[in-house]
Amino acid sequence: MASLSLKHIYKVYDGGVKAVNDFCMEIEDNEFIVFVGPSGCGKSTTLRMIAGLEDITAGELRIDNEIVNDFEPKDRNIAMVFQNYALYPHMSVYENMAFSLRTAHMPKDVIHQKVTEAAEILGITEYLQRKPKALSGGQRQRVALGRAIVRNPKVFLLDEPLSNLDAKLRAAMRSEISRLHQRLKTTFIYVTHDQVEAMTMGTRIVVMKLGYVQQIDTPINLYKYPDNMFVAGFIGTPQMNFFDATITKTGDDVRFDLDCGATINMKYIQADKILTKYMDGKHKVVFGVRPDAVKIDSPELDPNEWEKTKAVVSVVEILGGETLVYANLNVDTPDAKEGAIVIKADPDFFCHRGDILDIAISKVKFHAFDKETEVSIRKRIPEANIINCSINAGKLSFNGEQLTLPAALADKKADNAVLSMPVSALHLGEGEGKATVQWIENFEGKTLYFLKVQDLTLFALEYGDPVHKIGEVVSFNIDARYITVPECGILPLKRENSVAGTFSKEKKEDDKNSYNFYMEMAGLKVRPTPELCKKLFACKGTKIFRTDLEYVFDAHDIHVVDMKRENVTIPGKVSEVLDYGVAKYVRVAVGNESIIVAHDGKIGDEVNMILDCDRLTVKDKSLDITIV
Amino acid sequence: MINNETIKNNEIEALDRREKTDAERWADIDRLEAEIEMPRTQKRLGMRVKRIFGNTVGQIFLSVLSFIWIVPLIYLFVQSFRAEPGAWSPTFFPKTWTLDNYKRLFTPYEEGGTKFLQWYGNTLLIAVCSCIITTLFVLAVSYAFSRIKFKARKPMMNVMLILGMFPGFMSMSAVFFLLKILLPDNYQSHLSLIIVYSAGAALSYYIAKGFFDTVPYALDEAARIDGASRSQVFWKIILPLSKSIVIYTILTSFISPWCDYIFVSYIMSGVPDTSMYTVSLGMYKWLEREQIQQYFTTFCAAAVVVATPITILFMWLQKYYVEGVTGGAVKG
Repeated sequence: MASLSLKHIYKVYDGGVKAVNDFCMEIEDNEFIVFVGPSGCGKSTTLRMIAGLEDITAGELRIDNEIVNDFEPKDRNIAMVFQNYALYPHMSVYENMAFSLRTAHMPKDVIHQKVTEAAEILGITEYLQRKPKALSGGQRQRVALGRAIVRNPKVFLLDEPLSNLDAKLRAAMRSEISRLHQRLKTTFIYVTHDQVEAMTMGTRIVVMKLGYVQQIDTPINLYKYPDNMFVAGFIGTPQMNFFDATITKTGDDVRFDLDCGATINMKYIQADKILTKYMDGKHKVVFGVRPDAVKIDSPELDPNEWEKTKAVVSVVEILGGETLVYANLNVDTPDAKEGAIVIKADPDFFCHRGDILDIAISKVKFHAFDKETEVSIRKRIPEANIINCSINAGKLSFNGEQLTLPAALADKKADNAVLSMPVSALHLGEGEGKATVQWIENFEGKTLYFLKVQDLTLFALEYGDPVHKIGEVVSFNIDARYITVPECGILPLKRENSVAGTFSKEKKEDDKNSYNFYMEMAGLKVRPTPELCKKLFACKGTKIFRTDLEYVFDAHDIHVVDMKRENVTIPGKVSEVLDYGVAKYVRVAVGNESIIVAHDGKIGDEVNMILDCDRLTVKDKSLDITIV
Repeated sequence: MINNETIKNNEIEALDRREKTDAERWADIDRLEAEIEMPRTQKRLGMRVKRIFGNTVGQIFLSVLSFIWIVPLIYLFVQSFRAEPGAWSPTFFPKTWTLDNYKRLFTPYEEGGTKFLQWYGNTLLIAVCSCIITTLFVLAVSYAFSRIKFKARKPMMNVMLILGMFPGFMSMSAVFFLLKILLPDNYQSHLSLIIVYSAGAALSYYIAKGFFDTVPYALDEAARIDGASRSQVFWKIILPLSKSIVIYTILTSFISPWCDYIFVSYIMSGVPDTSMYTVSLGMYKWLEREQIQQYFTTFCAAAVVVATPITILFMWLQKYYVEGVTGGAVKG
């Protein structure tokens, strides 16, 4: 029983090949996590790093809040089940299972009790005296599981344990492993390339591709709200249908023009999560719809929710429980790649190649992706609010609303500008703006409000349950720190400071055998906390002294203090004051660098600051990876 | 009316309805697996005839070869029972048979016999000692090369492979002078022979390394996760799985000092005390021009006695060469 924390985990092989990039995840106690992805995506490497069989190049791995980067596998309190079982062939099943306990010098009767207990759970009691080679594949797999169970580990790691088994047996073992998880109440991490295993077993799934995490979410969310085209295509069989398209918005109507010739018309309210910048009729997007969101047309399907169109049948697959129809939206070319669509039809439905079908495509359960970046543009939480506005004399005006900008932006001026900001930067409850709540979505402890200001739709993301009702008029304000207006040069406040530097050691004056360690940045030496030193050494060893580093910290993680001490406080001089209303910042010149600090000082002030080492990020410049 | 039949049926239904126990579920899975096991394909008759014919031809050829190969050995064996003196015998089989040659071999020198027993003891001591050292060296080096990834691994392996290709006796005079430095007082001793035979042992790492490479690395990893240290992995997991290669290493490292002549003759030549000799050196002295007439049949007897332990060893241990020890480790 344990929680795991993986922070910025990297695996870089000799020669610079990055197998795992910036893997971040918090795993809670008793979760069943599945790593899934095509071969070579780094899922096994990540698992092996957790097991301690593979060195962690950079990053921080904690098991139950203890950093275990440098721990031997045996000291991490984990157990692992290998794909090829890795049973000791010269030992009997009993000895195989008892091996770890014997190595730990446990008393004989305890060993016996644990082994028989595990054997009972797995139904291998009668094979205990056999050698592995006298067992079948499924039995060997159970012995491997038993070997893991007897150790009573905090974390169970399973590396494609079922891929050597027959399909029928695999399905049975799948539910047995799920049952085992419920029974043992331990954290499981399971690696597989099979999305069915992932969807059926995991409480949360990590989808990986080429060393990058694509999305971490529950199975149902992955299916319903994929972050990008890869996840959308990887999860779900048959694959999601993709069509290259453009979107045009005219008044309250939105039209998807698919490259294959078909069009899908809907109201703006059905597609309002897609940013209007994609709706210019030029931007290349990908329209995606799952086979189960496409139906054979019938009169009871509401034309407001279903786009009715025609398709020509290419192949029909009758699976018994359902029928898959491979068709094409372009009725002249049944076999073309463009316009190809898979339809999940009723088992009784029957048609022939060349038949022209009336089909209906859902206008509710559809997805849209940017063609270039392949990222979803219809996420559950929209990326940004886009507002056409004008800025004058410290006032922001749009759609009849007027908001006062803070002092830092008071001198900006622009007409017909486009303002964008993250949806979480719009706060409800107080402020000068007034809007009507049009719709509310509540999920996972968050509430997404759809607001209407005249004809403009805005989103606001708040944490917690909804406090406003649909139809209510609410006041709102905008956190000016996060807005972008390119026309008058307003950029979001870059709160993150990034300073190049190194890490050095110096012999102590009074004791020649021990060292003082320093972070060198901007021509200054700053003493790190022992905790930070430990983390750095855990990742890089003594190489840390020869590595070019980058220290990254937030403006709120460096504090102005009243005292002054060499190598502890950082002296600087205030060069600019930025007043954002909700918070004040100063730009401070430190040596030859300039950093931003949350503080309400005056220009010309000499200040001393202390860096919060616990929240500091350290990056390796040459490899471009985050160490801490 | 409820009769016994309905009660029984109800019971059966109840049994079906109740949740299955663990054991039953696992039994189901076992059954499932038994069902999907593939039936063995039967070979057709034509194939069998072909195979039998091929085997017969091969075995006849091999029998002829082995006959040619074994003739000198049989000659040596029967000559050791020859009663007539002299080095040359006009017939393949002796005219008179005797055990005198063997008796003479085991009679002490002082009583008119030979020093063979002393030589035999010397050789055994040297061979056993260097065999133990060599085996440990070879296995340790091979395991390290097979499992531990260190920086100089590849270059070291290459250098050792190339060094091992040179015939050992090329270094003879150098070895002699090194021994003189190392053991200035008794460089012409058994100890120096043991050093010579075992010091370069690690050079022949490649066969054992090749074997260790075939033992799946996942076993090491599984053992390490199970809490074993590197040495525990080696002794408890890898070595028991490598019986055949361990025995191969023991045999080869026993035979080479047992049969070696070159190094002994160079290092021990000029030693006044002939009882320090090993069998090969001592027996070779019997074949010198002045001695051959007197000692030839004794030589034959001695050769048989020398060959006996190795032959027994081989016959006893040969099953390990063919045993597939890794069966069941991973899915084949």
